Amino acid sequence: MSAAYGKYLAIARAAFWQRLSERAALIGRIAFYCLILLVFSCVWRSIFSAQEPLGAHRKAAAHAAGDYVWYLALTEWIMLSQPTLYLDIESDVRSGDIAYQLARPLSYVGGKLAEGVGDLLLRMLTLAPFGLLFARLFSGQWADGRGLMLAALVGVMAALLLLLCYAAIGLCAFWLHDCTPVYLVWQKLLFVLGGLMLPLSIYPEWLRALAQRLPFASMLYGPGQLVSHPDAGRALELSVELGAWVVLAGLLVLGLERRGRRVLELAGG
Amino acid sequence: MAEARLHRLLANLGFASRLVSCQLQASFALRGAFWTSVVLMLVNDLIFFSTWWILMARFGHVGGWRLDDMMCLYGISAAGYGLCVVVTGGIHDLSRRIDEGDLDAFLTQPKSVLVQALASRTQPSGWGDISVALGLFALSGKVHKETVPALLVGVLCGFVTFVACGIVMHSLAFWFGRTQTLSRALWEFTLTFSMYPPPLFGSGVRFVLFTLLPAGLASYLPVELLRHPSWSALGAALGGSLAYAAFAVWLFEQGLRRYASGNRFNVRG
Repeated sequence: MSAAYGKYLAIARAAFWQRLSERAALIGRIAFYCLILLVFSCVWRSIFSAQEPLGAHRKAAAHAAGDYVWYLALTEWIMLSQPTLYLDIESDVRSGDIAYQLARPLSYVGGKLAEGVGDLLLRMLTLAPFGLLFARLFSGQWADGRGLMLAALVGVMAALLLLLCYAAIGLCAFWLHDCTPVYLVWQKLLFVLGGLMLPLSIYPEWLRALAQRLPFASMLYGPGQLVSHPDAGRALELSVELGAWVVLAGLLVLGLERRGRRVLELAGG
Repeated sequence: MAEARLHRLLANLGFASRLVSCQLQASFALRGAFWTSVVLMLVNDLIFFSTWWILMARFGHVGGWRLDDMMCLYGISAAGYGLCVVVTGGIHDLSRRIDEGDLDAFLTQPKSVLVQALASRTQPSGWGDISVALGLFALSGKVHKETVPALLVGVLCGFVTFVACGIVMHSLAFWFGRTQTLSRALWEFTLTFSMYPPPLFGSGVRFVLFTLLPAGLASYLPVELLRHPSWSALGAALGGSLAYAAFAVWLFEQGLRRYASGNRFNVRG
């Protein structure tokens, strides 16, 4: 049993070190992280300074703007840490390389997920200090330490769920050949219904009600809200919710791989 | 001398239009891929713009810019960028071609290397950007019979600036070698900034946006033509874009003198 886990752990470790050597991609993500936080800090500052132009309220307005910047820093941290796992799986299926990998004494999708986890952890560890730095710099304030801790813990769970979703999208290549359209639709739904750029609390009522009934909100809005509203009970609730989605997504991934292998065998490998 | 230059310019423009027409026919031939790209880009743009719709619905304005102003700004930016990738889709690969010595095939032809390299590809997704831009212009209520010429000039300035910016960023490869990731990132940063209203940024950032990342020339000056039409706005928008384009062509020609062949045997029909 432990030997089986050892294989996946070794793959995750190898992926971690391999991605560490690809510095240009990491620097690109860090630069984009900086840019998006800079732009949105300007947006929030402009909005709140117009709302509360005078006196004591101005300080409260600056604080509120800062909260939004920290929210974005957290949601972007989760999104930008995601490896492009769906592209790797799609490429294996399209090129036929998957036929060689299936012969290995380990699950194909398990190996890919282990690789993705290594990559994901590296990115999360690399982006986290930059996220703290940029958010502090552009918001002019520190976030609550307890909130950050809770948000980071729930954020890691949300990132793992996202990784499983990307694996499921990649496995669609067994049937679709090109999964980019599925990925783009998923990504856009996540942007809007998950509250990537803007917290759902400022959405119109009907859109917020819709978004909160879907799993996207627990992936981004949930952890993002914890930064400025630290609540251990809410964090636990979110973790249970995300855990349930992880189990469901895991089952979906296994089901897709099993069905996909049948299609592959029918096609002659 | 001037006559010869004009003759060469007209010959290159004629050649470019025939090259672009061939590329467009080729992209229309793959109907499924063409429409998928167009529709996905359209959805992508609409979802991105929904951020502004949500913000304006909640706060009314951002830095004095209302939803109709944002529609014009986003429209100018999307139309300019869309035209750029439809007409000069080869711009994405320019730094790679330079770095890998892949311009050899163009050097053997009697026409401009730059025109051939830029017009050697088209990206159908650009039609999605253009469609969204047309829809936003129509919804903004700022486009009517009197402002159509200003709109066309504005879009043309955006288009010229995006092409010129791409040439400048990708020409870095002549001096620094493998800059593909950096060049693309700088170009995309320019696009990103061009979609946010200028009052958001302080004077330091604004200086960068009119020099290193010319988002100001790509959308801020052109959109002023629509918001506050005047001869000075026209002069600033046209003068800025054309001067930047002249600089881009000059830089590419300087770089081309340093170009090293990839010693490849390629034949282009």
